[in-house]
Amino acid sequence: MNTFLAALFSGTSRGAIFALVALGLVIVWRGAGIVNFAQMGQAMFSTYIASTLIINGNSYWVGFIVALLSGAVLGSLIDIFVMRPLSNKKKTELLSSESMRAAVPVLASLGILGVLQALAGIIWAAEERGFPAPAKQEGFTVAGNAMPFTAFDLFVIGSVAVTLILTTLFFKKTSMGLAMRATALNQEVAKLSGIRTNLTRTLSWAISGAASSLAGLLLTPSSNLSPNTLDLALLIGFTAAVVGGLDSPAGAVLGGFIIGMVISFVTFYDTPEDVFLAILAVLLLALIIRPRGLLGSKDVRRV
Amino acid sequence: MLKIENLVTSFGSVVALDGVSLSAQEAKITTVIGANGAGKSTLLRTISGLEHPSSGTITWQGESIVGRRPEDIVRMGIAHVPEGHAVISELSVEENITMGSLFRRRKFKADVPAATDEMYTLFPRLKERRKQLAGTLSGGERQMLAISRALVSRPKLLLLDEPSLGLAPLVVEQIIDSVNILCRTTGLTVLLVEQNANTALGVADHGVLLALGKVVADRPAAELKADATLRAAYLGY
Amino acid sequence: MHSIGRKSLIRTLLFIIAILWLGSTFDAYNQGQLAVVLILFIGVLSVTILTGISGQLSLGQGALMAVGGYSTALLMTNYPFSLWVAIPFSIIGAAIAGLLLGVAAARLSGPYLAGTTLVVALAIPTIANRFVSVFKGDEGLPVDVGYPPAWFSNAFGEPSYEEWQLYVALPFAAIALFFASNMLLSRSGRMWKSIRDNATASSLTGVNYSRQKIYVFIVSASFAGLSGALYGLRGLVGPSVYPVSLSLTLLTAAVLGGIRSIAGAFIGTVIVVFLPDWIDLVVENFELSEQVSNYMPAMISSLLLILTVVINPAGVAGTKLHRHK
Repeated sequence: MNTFLAALFSGTSRGAIFALVALGLVIVWRGAGIVNFAQMGQAMFSTYIASTLIINGNSYWVGFIVALLSGAVLGSLIDIFVMRPLSNKKKTELLSSESMRAAVPVLASLGILGVLQALAGIIWAAEERGFPAPAKQEGFTVAGNAMPFTAFDLFVIGSVAVTLILTTLFFKKTSMGLAMRATALNQEVAKLSGIRTNLTRTLSWAISGAASSLAGLLLTPSSNLSPNTLDLALLIGFTAAVVGGLDSPAGAVLGGFIIGMVISFVTFYDTPEDVFLAILAVLLLALIIRPRGLLGSKDVRRV
Repeated sequence: MLKIENLVTSFGSVVALDGVSLSAQEAKITTVIGANGAGKSTLLRTISGLEHPSSGTITWQGESIVGRRPEDIVRMGIAHVPEGHAVISELSVEENITMGSLFRRRKFKADVPAATDEMYTLFPRLKERRKQLAGTLSGGERQMLAISRALVSRPKLLLLDEPSLGLAPLVVEQIIDSVNILCRTTGLTVLLVEQNANTALGVADHGVLLALGKVVADRPAAELKADATLRAAYLGY
Repeated sequence: MHSIGRKSLIRTLLFIIAILWLGSTFDAYNQGQLAVVLILFIGVLSVTILTGISGQLSLGQGALMAVGGYSTALLMTNYPFSLWVAIPFSIIGAAIAGLLLGVAAARLSGPYLAGTTLVVALAIPTIANRFVSVFKGDEGLPVDVGYPPAWFSNAFGEPSYEEWQLYVALPFAAIALFFASNMLLSRSGRMWKSIRDNATASSLTGVNYSRQKIYVFIVSASFAGLSGALYGLRGLVGPSVYPVSLSLTLLTAAVLGGIRSIAGAFIGTVIVVFLPDWIDLVVENFELSEQVSNYMPAMISSLLLILTVVINPAGVAGTKLHRHK
C-alpha cells in the first residue's frame, strides 16, 4: 500500500511538471503553429540564470522570479528574431512544398536548441550544478505520521495548480486572452478583426517560455543542472501533449498527469531504466490508437 | 471614398487582377460581379491587406493603403467579411462579436457595448444564441455573425464577399436587406462582391463587371442590370 | 533508363577520381577527416533522400546509423565475419529497422514525425544500457577496419591507417553515390518529389502514398545503416558514438549544403566535418579557455543552421538553382 501511495503522489507531482511542459508546447503550437523543440533548452538557460543568482547570494525567490522573466523574454526574442522572419519569407521554390514549409521552423528550433546548449556550456563551463529546492525533499511528517509525499511535492503541485488557474483565467476572461485564442484558431479572421497577430504570437511564446522555465525550476532540484539535463523533459512533454491532444490545453494537462503516473509506476514497480522505453511505448500507442489525442479536435490534419 | 487604380495582383505566374481601376462612392453600394475566377475575391483581399499587389494604387479617404497590414487597415475604418469561413467556430457568438471590437477598447471604451447591442438589434437571432459556439449556428446565422463581427468595429467601408454563398434565397434577402438599410441610414460605403448578379444589382447603386481580372463594364447598377447582351456574354443569363 | 545509369556512372567515376587525387595531397590527419567525410556523406544522403526528396522530416537517422553499426559490430565480434561480409548484412538490418520506422511514420507528418523520430533516436543509448550483456552498455563493442589484405599491399604499397580507412570508405561512398544519383533521376525520384511538394494532390493522383513513403524510409535507412557501419569501424560501436546530436549533425549538414541535391549533401558534410578544424585555425589567434573552444563548433554549426534556414533555406548548393531561375 505504501509503495502504491508513494507512486501515486510521485506521479501527481511529476505529472504536474510535465503538464506544464506539455502546456508550453501546446500554447506555442496553437499560437504559432510550430512544435518548439527548443522549449526546454530555453528553460535550461533560464534555470542557469536563476542558479547563478542564487549562488551569488540571492534568495530562491529572486532566482525564481528572474527565471520566469528570462523565460518570457527569451521566448519573445526567439519569436521576434527567428520565427517572425521565417514566416515572412517570400515563397521560394523550396518553400512552395508543404512539407518543407512545415520542416523549416522545426529545423530553426533545433538550431536554437543547439545554440542555447552551446552557449550555456560556454558561459557556465558545463560544470554540473546542483539546484536548491525551496522546500524539503525528504519525507514529510504531519502529526507524527510519515506521509508518502514531501513538502517539495506539495510545492510543485501547488505552483503548477496556480499557474494552470492563472493561464486559464487569462485565456478565457481577458481581452488579450481572447485575441490570442482567436489568432491561434484562425489567423486571417483575427487580422481582419484588427487583432495585432504579431503581438499575440509573441505573447504566446513569452507565456510558454515562462511556463517552461517554471517547469525547469521544478525539475532541476532532483537532478544536476547541465546543458543537456532537460532534453528528456522535452520528449516527455511532447509525448504528454500528443497523448492529450496537441491542440488542447486541457489535453496537455491530462496527458502530463497520465505520463507522470506511467513514469512513477514504472519507476516504483519496475526499474527506472525502463522509463524511457515506457514513454516510447506510450507515444507509439497514442499515435497508433488515437493520433489526435484524448482531447484533441478532429479536424486537424495529421497526414 | 475608395479609389483603385491599375491594380495588379498575381500569385506566382497567375495574374488574378490585371490592371483593375474602380472607385466606390461614399454612402453608396457598389457591387462587383462576374463569373467564377474573375478576380472578385482577390480584389477584396488586396484592399483589406491580406494580399499584396505587385503594382497599382489603392486610396482610401485620400490615404494610400497598399502595403499596410490588415490589422492597420481595419483601424482605418475598412472591414472585410471574407467568403466562406468568416467566423471562428470554436468561439461563442459573443466572443466572435467581441473579437471585432477589441481594438476599439482603448479609444472608444464607452461605445463598444452600444455597438454590440446594435448588432443584436440588427440580428435578433444572434442575441438568442449569444453563448452558443459559432460552429453550431446555421449557415445564415453564421453569415449574420460574420457581418456583425465586421460592423461592430463601426467601419466606414464594408467589403462583403459573396454573402449569398450556400444560403437559401430568403436568408440571402434578409441579409442583403439589412446591409442595404445600414448603408442608407448610417452612410456606410459598401463594396459588395456577388456571384448572384441579379440580387446584387437589385440593391446596388453602381456596378462593376469583372472578367479574367479586368474591368469590362463600370456603370450605374440599373443600366448594367438592363444590358442583356452584357449579361449573356459574361454572366450567362 | 540507360542514360540515367550512364549519367550516374560518370558522376561516380569523377567522384572517385577526385577523392583519390585529394587524398593523395592530404596529410594523414586530413586523410582521416576525408574518410569521415565519405562515411558521413552516406548518412547525409539518407537525410537528403528522406527529407529533401520525399519531404519526411526524421530526427532519428543517427539511430538507424546505430542499427547498422551495432549489426556490424555484433557480426564481427561474435562470428568470424570480415567487414566486407558484415556490412551488407548490416544494411539489410538497417533496412528492416527503416521498414518498422516507416510503417510507424507513414501516418505522421511534420512535427509529429519529427518528435517521434527524436524519441526513437534517444532510445538507442537506453536500449544499449538495458541489454548490457548483448550490447555492452556504455562501453560498447570495439571494431575496426583491420589491415589491408596482402594483395593490396603488394600492389599499391602499405597504406597508413588513415589511408586504409579512406580506401575502405571510398568504394561504399561511390556505390551510395551511384544509387542515390540513379534514384533521384528516376521515375521513383519524381514520384517522391510529388509527395514532398503536395501530399494531398499526389495521393489523389493515385500515387500509392503510404507505400511510397515507407519505401523511401527503407532506402534512406539502408544508406544510414551503411554509414553507421563504416562509422563504427573507426574503432568503437557504442552509445557515445551515436548520440542524439549525430542525427542533428546529419540534418545540419544536409540543410547547410542544400537539402535537395547530392552535391549539397557532400558540401554540407565537408562543412560539418571540417568546421572544428577551421574554427581552431581562427581561434588559435585568440586565447580562449578550453570550455569555450569545446562548445564553439556546436555553437557555430547551430548558428549556421538558423541562419541558413531563415535566410537561404535552399542551402549552398540550392542557391545556384535560384540564379538559374
